[in-house]
Amino acid sequence: MRQDPLSQKTDWASVLLFGALVIAGWLNIYAAEYDPEIDQSIFDFGTSAGRQFIWILTSVVIAFTIFFFDYKFFDSFAYVIYGIIMAMLLFILIGGKEVAGSKSWLGIGGFGLQPSEFAKFAAALALAKYLSHSTRKLTDLNTLGVCFLIILLPMAMTILQGDTGTALVFTSLVVPMFREGMSPLLLIIAVSILLVFLLTLLISQTVLLVGIAIVTLLALGLNARNPKKLVYIIVSSIIVTFAVRSVDFILTDVLKPHQQKRVLSLVNPNIDPLGAGWNVTQSKIAIGSGGLIGKGFLEGTQTKFDFVPEQTTDFIFCTIGEEHGYLGSIIMLGLFTALLLRLVVLAERQKSTFSRVFGYGVVGIIFFHFTVNIAMTIGLFPVIGIPLPFFSYGGSSLWAFTILLFSFLKMDAHRMQVLQRL
Amino acid sequence: MSIKRDIVLRVRIAFILTFLVAGAVVFRIAKIQFIEGEEWRSLGETLGMQVMNVKATRGNIYADDGSLLATSLPFYRLAIDPYLPTNGLYKNNIDSLCYLLSRYYGDLTPTQYKRKIDRARKDGRRYLTLNRQEIGYQDKKHMENWPLFREGRLKGGVLFEKVEKRFLPFSHLGIRTIGSVNANDRGTVGLEYSFNKQLAGVNGKGLYQKMAGGGWKPIYDGTEKRPVDGYDIQTTINVDLQDVTESALLDELQKHNADYGVAIVMEVKTGEIKAISNLSRNTDGDYYERYNYAVGNQGSREPGSTFKLASMIALLEEVDIKLTDTINTGDGSLEFFDKTMRDHKPGGFGTLTVQEVFEKSSNIGVAKLISQHFGNEPEKFINYLKRMNLHQPLDFQMVGEGKPYIKDPSDSTWSGVSLPWMSHGYELKMTPLQMLTLYNAVANNGKMVKPMIVKGVMKADRMVEEFETEVINDRIASKETLRKVKMMMEGVVERGTAQNINHSHYKIAGKTGTAKKVKNGRYVREYYTSFAGYFPAEAPRYSCIVVIDNPKGYQIYGSDVSAPVFKEIADKIYSLELDMHEVGTQERTYVTGVFPHIKAGKRDELTMICNELGISNHAKTEAEWVKTDVINDAVYWKGNTVKYEVIPDVRGMTLRDAIYVLENLGLKVKVNGRGRVATQSLAPGGRIAKGSTIKLQMS
Repeated sequence: MRQDPLSQKTDWASVLLFGALVIAGWLNIYAAEYDPEIDQSIFDFGTSAGRQFIWILTSVVIAFTIFFFDYKFFDSFAYVIYGIIMAMLLFILIGGKEVAGSKSWLGIGGFGLQPSEFAKFAAALALAKYLSHSTRKLTDLNTLGVCFLIILLPMAMTILQGDTGTALVFTSLVVPMFREGMSPLLLIIAVSILLVFLLTLLISQTVLLVGIAIVTLLALGLNARNPKKLVYIIVSSIIVTFAVRSVDFILTDVLKPHQQKRVLSLVNPNIDPLGAGWNVTQSKIAIGSGGLIGKGFLEGTQTKFDFVPEQTTDFIFCTIGEEHGYLGSIIMLGLFTALLLRLVVLAERQKSTFSRVFGYGVVGIIFFHFTVNIAMTIGLFPVIGIPLPFFSYGGSSLWAFTILLFSFLKMDAHRMQVLQRL
Repeated sequence: MSIKRDIVLRVRIAFILTFLVAGAVVFRIAKIQFIEGEEWRSLGETLGMQVMNVKATRGNIYADDGSLLATSLPFYRLAIDPYLPTNGLYKNNIDSLCYLLSRYYGDLTPTQYKRKIDRARKDGRRYLTLNRQEIGYQDKKHMENWPLFREGRLKGGVLFEKVEKRFLPFSHLGIRTIGSVNANDRGTVGLEYSFNKQLAGVNGKGLYQKMAGGGWKPIYDGTEKRPVDGYDIQTTINVDLQDVTESALLDELQKHNADYGVAIVMEVKTGEIKAISNLSRNTDGDYYERYNYAVGNQGSREPGSTFKLASMIALLEEVDIKLTDTINTGDGSLEFFDKTMRDHKPGGFGTLTVQEVFEKSSNIGVAKLISQHFGNEPEKFINYLKRMNLHQPLDFQMVGEGKPYIKDPSDSTWSGVSLPWMSHGYELKMTPLQMLTLYNAVANNGKMVKPMIVKGVMKADRMVEEFETEVINDRIASKETLRKVKMMMEGVVERGTAQNINHSHYKIAGKTGTAKKVKNGRYVREYYTSFAGYFPAEAPRYSCIVVIDNPKGYQIYGSDVSAPVFKEIADKIYSLELDMHEVGTQERTYVTGVFPHIKAGKRDELTMICNELGISNHAKTEAEWVKTDVINDAVYWKGNTVKYEVIPDVRGMTLRDAIYVLENLGLKVKVNGRGRVATQSLAPGGRIAKGSTIKLQMS
């Protein structure tokens, strides 16, 4: 029996937001490269904007194609897709070509693809599939372990490829896990360690250790009657102390020199304003020079002439900041926030665990990309080089986000059918 | 219920976290754009901007006919940003690159190069000079195609640091006089130093902004100061005469294994120095231009007998003495107080006329004459010398002129022997150039002109500053005195000490000089020989002085050592300057059947040769450089245009002409074989890449 036409069930609000973001991104890529003396066309394939146009067209094709898949496809093939992508990552590790310091490209004919972009989608699928079994409980250590395995496998391989930025994105998959009942304690510990790490860079270790000792003693005193909590506090203070002591080790031995500089220049961008802090300083100059309403479309000067590196990819946000000012930035942030909120609503209304987990995975990935990308352009986060979803120039990235978003929208369109199947 | 509460709690936590992050972002953007906006904007205008020097191009030094003596050419030093290339690019290319580097420079093995670059890359260095050797433009072009380098500056990290290098088209010709520049493009010696201010120009300043990737781009904000290119210097040096002078001097220096030699050729009327050569021997026994003895302080020496000219002038001015008056010079040795003066002829000259005293260069004769007439009032003699301006430096155009030293009776070192010894050129010091100025004044009928070597300072074709001949002294002596000393100087060559250079075609007038050198306060058997004079004696055109210091072997007199150089120079100049020849006395010889080999060259020179040889020649062009068409027994000149930026056709030219033309256009010439140019490696008519090499095959 035929249901209502598919178009009626599709969440058009998300599709419209997607369209708005992609087109805004395209225009900004054009503006970032625009040279008034040459006056290129936005369709000029010699420019990033022209090529992005092709990526947008193919993304639309991909979106349509997804809608013609059977809605059960993702559920059924989740592990298969995960397996294929992991195989590709492995293959690249052995024989991929190197671009900008990382070995993450798969050459197919004349152009390259970055499988790691698609690995996020695959990991979200696999996680959703795994958690969709009714027996899985995230309070259970076994389940938790498998979930982390699903996430850590692609993460480890992307780190080995030299693309730490993309690898960090996989941590965003704790969002669905959190939604599905993972103890917030893990999250809190993780966030604390990150905070401690940053504090260590700002404050001397001795001061920090004394502080930790004081906080621990206070906490012990307050919870003197609860032996279970005492154990927790002691264990966590030991972990934190260890984290503090390991910062030097992480900084000098784990992080690559350019990453060290990025972390350090986050703390103090003036250490080396022409070196490691260069990107962020230039980016801030661009955004700062935008003011309230910006300089106007194609009128930016700081974002021209390659002052800001990765102008069309990772630092596309400063073009908005410069040419469209605070208002433009807020509108863009508004569009993203609207999309994310809409996706949370969609995820929450799913009838099956699989699509709900996947939906939250999509939310988590987009949210992470979006937040971290903007945070790094405005100097809130170290520059880790991940693109702004839908906005940044790049085929793999746009395709991956399109697949991510539209496979979820496809699931959403069929959410009522899930019940029928059960 | 608790599950529901738990979920709601989680969603709330998630939303709170999300809003916190979003809030932080919104606040941060607002902070950057509003609170810190001004700061960022002004930082944007200043950060990464730097005022940098923009180098001015140094001016050229030209010979009197406009030939280039010194010019600046671009050279490059190879450096790399070893940190820039990506791992894959680096790994794939570094080995072949190091192999090429090693083969090109030959100083390090490929492995050593690789280690050097690897280490720098590991250390994160952004600049590594691969080799300090300067390479030409052509080599640079070639290197740009090497692995890694072909990826360009932004990907491969290759950097070609441009250095302007001074290039002397005539190689070592007059190199000390032309001078040299240091690494900062500042003249260190010679004209480069003396006229550094004019040649250097003014470096400009421009605002540059650092670009992503480390390059600098100029910002044209209106505040930039454009570099003012240096002016050109037009010298009086004549390349042909300089060449003649240098080779004649060198031959003689080598023959006598002398320490150093100086030869200056000056135009009598103008004081323009046409050639100036200073050659000194290094420890390997080779001669190089290392110090300007002609002008500099180290060249200021006791001149010896050439100074007798000044003594004679003083004598003839003071007393009405006839050249035929006699004086007894005795047996060749004479005691003055505690010192013995000797003549160079064993056994002495006996009784000599005044003229013979000069011509045979009798020390005793001159000393006796001077002592007789000035013995009571030596300051009078000194005053005569001062009237000839011999005590003053010339205020020559080149920095570092040696000061002459003429003793005064009031000096503490003045003694009873000072006057007689001064009269034949001891106890006083002069540079060769100062001495030549005196001889030149005599040749110029008593008018002493200041020697000059720079005619003007030019900007392109426009004269910015022109130097006129300056007169130091309108008349150093009476006409009668001048007539007499001229006669005596001619006699030196005709009958006197320099008979060996007597010539039948034209007359040379001059004076030999052989001074014993002082070592540790004693005169030792080391000599400072010289010959100063002018030619042709009837109508003096050039004056010339040749100084050869410390000749070894049995020939130690000015007549044997220096005079032959003078003659060789004079002969060559005489043969070059045909208008010096008396018109009508030449016989034209026609040799039928042998037609000279005339192919290409400078039109006026070829025309002159043909006229001399009596070959009918016809001009079809006014061009400076010509090629020939030989039709029957006549030669037709066709224009062989030498245009800037287009490779000229030098086939058929002599090497000298070809080098002149090509080097002037900024090409480097490599020569193979001898004879005339048969083939050239760059086709005529092509565009010139400055600094590229052209190979000439001679046959």
